[in-house]
Parts: sequence; structure tokens; C-alpha cells
Amino acid sequence: MRLALRELHRRPSRFLVATAILALISMLLIVLGGLLDGLTASSTGALRAQRGQLIVYSSDAENSLVRSRITPDVRREVQRAAGARNVSGLGSVQVGARVPGHGLRDLVPVVLFGYQLAPRQLPDVVPARNEVFADSSLEAQGVRTGMTITLGPARSPVRVIGFLDDSRYSGQGTLWGSLDTWRAVIGANRPSERAGVGVQQALVVQTSGRSASAQAAAIDRATGGATKALTIDQAIQALPGVSAQQTTFNQIIGVTVSIGVLVVALFFALITVERVGLYGVLKAIGASSWTLFVGVVFQALVVALIASAIGVVAGIALDIAIPPGGSIPFSAGAGRLITSTIYLVIAALIGCAFSLRRVLRVDPASAIGGSDV
Amino acid sequence: MLVVAIALLLFLILVQQALRDGLIDAFTGAINRQSAPVLVYSVDGQRTLQGSVITPSLQGTIQSTKGVGESGRIGQSTFTARINGAAKASVALFGYETASVGGPDRLTAGRMPRAPGEAVGSDGEFALGDTVRLAGARSAPVLRVVGLAANAEIQVLPTLFVSWSDYSSWVRAANPDASVVLASAIGVRPSPGTTPQALVQRINAASPEADALTRADAAQKTPGVSSVRSSFEVIFLLFAGVVPLVAGLFFLIITLQKARALTLLRAIGAPAGGLVRSLLIQALMVLGAGIVLGTLIWLPVSQATVGQLSLTFDAGAVLFWAVLLLALGLASALVAARRVLAIDPVEATTGGGGL
Repeated sequence: MRLALRELHRRPSRFLVATAILALISMLLIVLGGLLDGLTASSTGALRAQRGQLIVYSSDAENSLVRSRITPDVRREVQRAAGARNVSGLGSVQVGARVPGHGLRDLVPVVLFGYQLAPRQLPDVVPARNEVFADSSLEAQGVRTGMTITLGPARSPVRVIGFLDDSRYSGQGTLWGSLDTWRAVIGANRPSERAGVGVQQALVVQTSGRSASAQAAAIDRATGGATKALTIDQAIQALPGVSAQQTTFNQIIGVTVSIGVLVVALFFALITVERVGLYGVLKAIGASSWTLFVGVVFQALVVALIASAIGVVAGIALDIAIPPGGSIPFSAGAGRLITSTIYLVIAALIGCAFSLRRVLRVDPASAIGGSDV
Repeated sequence: MLVVAIALLLFLILVQQALRDGLIDAFTGAINRQSAPVLVYSVDGQRTLQGSVITPSLQGTIQSTKGVGESGRIGQSTFTARINGAAKASVALFGYETASVGGPDRLTAGRMPRAPGEAVGSDGEFALGDTVRLAGARSAPVLRVVGLAANAEIQVLPTLFVSWSDYSSWVRAANPDASVVLASAIGVRPSPGTTPQALVQRINAASPEADALTRADAAQKTPGVSSVRSSFEVIFLLFAGVVPLVAGLFFLIITLQKARALTLLRAIGAPAGGLVRSLLIQALMVLGAGIVLGTLIWLPVSQATVGQLSLTFDAGAVLFWAVLLLALGLASALVAARRVLAIDPVEATTGGGGL
């Protein structure tokens, strides 16, 4: 180990190529993971922010919030099954927002949510009509507290009274107001999606300690199949593209890790070939194969950690450089950076293990006789 | 090992390129497939059919703009439907008022709709004769697929081109609270002597509420498409960076392993240039084998469908990446070639032979 450390210290240039390649792979892992996290976060924030455990759609909506319509009759059935106080309405509409200071054609795409049960971070009291909380990603678009912005072709005015974090939906910043505000905005701007009196798109249900799946089944039974109740996780997975996105990106990350294994295997094969003579001498003076191999593993670990550090710094820099809500949905959270580092370290350890065979095959006699591996 | 590595890298790049292209096609295929050379959204729609609403006054302004030849309303919404009575599925309806400005521009099978209730379906998801019924609403007309069009999906959903009246009926049946069904966009064909680009400028100048785009721009500037493109470009760039490094490392190992033989060859008079040529030929063969293997692995996979995305074998993309990887691989092999050139033949007589 000491010998391996000394080599790293005295001849760092020897490890430069491997470190550069692994740093690139580390960046690739972080970029891929960051894109996946960014895409997922920007599509699912509004659902993750909910305090309820279930989302209830109409059964004909195919788990789509936009297509779902819960009539007052159906809501009453749900309340009967889950308790009136545990059921609250939710509605959404995607519109263009005109923000003061922006050009005539420079609109900000937003999703306005109407709610009864306040999402996390928001006060329990629902804002007054035409008042909204905004997702903090909209600050980058110039939205400020106290500002009045207008929504849709009807220029429906809403006043921003505060912000909340991580509540993006469908890749857009969100606004959160009362169901009345939502009903007025959708009616004025989307006549074909207008919601009648008492109609909501979905219901948010708090299970009050009951098992979420049992409660969901009870709700669907009570409405005679008119509803489809999903847990928040199920609702997130049902969002268009979310699960396909996750599967695809995770597969690509898996293959990238395997390329990392290959790079480390190749590099340490090269190092071992170069050191055959040295290993022969060390074995001749009593060093075991195991000691030599531990040295290789140690060096692989150090190279992988340095490469990961470079990748992490690049990932953080990218995260800072890309504005929230920009065209590239990227998010390099601590969890993703740690996971990517672990993947690379594991890849390095597996990769260098391929050199074990070569180390074992080194004949101490080669140090005397000059034969090669 | 390098053959497998190159094959794997090429395969990965091709998979990702096909996913990107498939995703973009499935997002915006119907926009490219519809026949109007110019699409006019409301500026509030943010260049999406789902978000755009054309008010009657804006429609009037568009249609009275100088240079407008033909025009017609276009509507687009998603619905839950049953195809041939099977389980419920999401479908997108693309309603058009006039076939020549909004209908599908060409079919792969069948014919254009002639009567109410007839539809053209995206050919990956529908077959001729399929019937499509709006789930949970008996009042909507049952649609029958009489024609098929390629790359005609929108929002990554099975898509049907239908008449405006069928589209309106479905919207009203799906939401009885709908007060009026407005167009999502106006499809426009310029009058003779006016180019689509010129018409776009005139319409945008006529109203600050109008957002006119040529067909190609409407597809390319759909929100999400640029995100998908830029995200994949970052990935491609990083992969392209890994290839020469892996190849360079590999050939360096090969050169080091053959150090003794190369020194001996130099000692008996082999010219350094000849040895470098051999190395490059070897690199060419190994890289070529990797590229062929990667392409062969990709060939059957490219016929598959991932979720609702159809992958396709794009010979142009294969050729582009093959040439690029070959060039990058050969360039990196030159590092090993430098080592070959540095061999001192005297080493062979002194018992050395290292590089």
C-alpha cells in the first residue's frame, strides 16, 4: 500500500490518462443522473408537494389530471368513504403568463393549480380569490411577491403573495390559488375545458392513518368504479413519460458504469504490464500477490475518487450555470452526486480486479531470469 | 476487448439518437404530417396546440391578412377511448376543418375520410377498420379508421385525424361543461406568389396575439423539443470524448505488450514508418470490427418499440457515427504510434526493449 501511495505521489502523470477518462465518465454519470432528476422533478413537484396520500381521478381520465372530471355527486361518495374532512378538491390549467417587464410576446408558461388542502410549505388558509403563491423557479422569470401577472388570452389577473419550492409540474412553474380562482381562469381562457359548478379535476385525500391502498380500494368501491384512486407515488408514475424516462435513463447509466469498468480494467492491465519486472522483484524479496494486488486496488480507488471529485465539481458548476426552469432540466442533488461517486468507485474496484490474474501469474524468477508474463 | 468496447459505445450512441429522434417524432409528428404550410397559434399557447386557443376575433384577423389563400380551424385534444372495444387507452384527436390545411398530407394506406365518423390514424398504433369509441360518453360519434399515416403522432399518443365536427362532438361529450369549442390553431396556405415565410411575418405583424410559424418551425419550436435536443447533445459530446480515450489506452497497452518484438524488428531494419502503418492498420481493423459489431447489435434492436416510441434504423446516423468513431479512434492510436517511433533499435543488442 505504501509503495502504491508513493508511486501515486511521485509519478502522478502516469495516472493522468485514467483519471481524465474516469473524470469524463463521472461527468457523464452525473449529467445523465442530473438530467433524469431534473426531468422528474420538473414533472412531478406539484404531486410531491401534496399533503394528502391519495389522488382520486375520474376513472375515464386514464390517470390524467387534465382529462379528469369529478362531479359533486362523485365527491359526496368519496367523502362518505374517506370522511368529509379528509377530502379536498384540486384543479389545474396550463396558460401563458404575462409578467410585467416582459415583451409583448414573451410569455411565461405556467400551470395554475386551484386547491383546498394546502400543499407543503403553504399556509393552511387558502388564498383569497385572484391571489396565488408561485413556484420559486418563476423568480428567474422576473416574478416577484406583490406583482400582478395576467394569465391567458383573457388576461385574468392574479397577484403573487409568496413562493414555494419544488412544485413544478409538466416542466413548468406553478401558481397556487383557490378553486374559485382556478375556475374563473379556466372558464375565461379555456372555454372547452370549463369546469361547471362544484366540478373539480381531482380530489386529494388524507388517509388519516388508514392504509393508503385499502383506502383507495374503499373509495373506488364506494363510487361504483367512477373513480380511480392512486397513491401519490402511483400518480407520479402514471404521469406521461415519467416511468419510461426513468427506465431508459437508468439503463443508459448502467451501460455507462460498465464502460467505466472497462476503462479501469484496461488501464490497470496497462499498469500491470509495465510493472511485471517490478512485481517479479517484489515477489522475489517476499511480497505476496495479495499485497501487490491491494496496492493496485488502492491506486484504483484513489484514481476513481479524484475523478469523481472532478465530476462532482463539474456537476455542481453545471447546476449553478443552468438557470432553474431553463431549457435543460438539470438537477445535481447531493444524493445523485453521492450515488454517481459510489457507482464509479464500484466500477473501479471491479475493473482493477481483472488485473488480479496478471499479478498472480508474475513469476518471481522473472526478476532473476528476465522472463516475461 | 476494444472491439466489444467500441461496439458497446456505438450501440449506446445509436440507441440514444434513435430515442431522441423517436421522442421528437412522437411529440410533434402530427404537426409535420398535417398539410398546412403555416400554423398560427395564439401567443398564449406558447407554441403548443394543447395550450393555444384562437378566439373568433383573432381568427378573423388571421383570415383577413393579405396573402392568406386557404385557411381552416385545427383543434387538438387528448381523450380516453376504447379501440375496437378493448381496454381504455389515451388517444389524441387532431381535428381539421379543411383537409388541405390541416388534414394529413399523405397516407401510407387506405383513403382520406369522406363522411362523418371517418378518421386517419397514426400507422404505428392503428389498422384500417379499427373503431374508436370515447370512453364513458355515448353521445360522441364512433370513429372508424379508413386511412393510415406515418409519423403522425402527437404528444407521444396514438393519433387520429378527424373532421372538425367530429372533433367538436368529442370535446363536448368529454366535457359537458364546455361552453364553446374554439380552434387550437389556424392552418393557412399562402396565396400564389406569397411564400410561407412572408405570410408568417405578415400575420405576426397583423396581431400581437398571433404566433404564426411555418410547419417546420412549428414542429422544431415546440416546447420540450429543444430541451430534448440539448440534453441529448450533452450526452453525445461526453460519449464522443470517451471513445478516443478508450481506444488510445487500448493501443498503448498493445504497443507496450509488443515492445520487445517491435524493438527487434527495428534492430533488423524494419522502418519506423512501416511499424506505424501496421499499428494504424491494426487500429483500423479493430475499430472497424467494433463498428460492424455495434451496427449488427443495433440492427435488430432498432426494430423494437420502447414504451410508445418506435425506434428506427437510420443508415445516415450509423454512417456518421461510424466515421466519427473511426476518425477519433485512429487519432488516439497515433499516441501509441509516437511510442513506436521512439523505439531505439540499439536496445535489442543491449537486452532492453522497453518503450
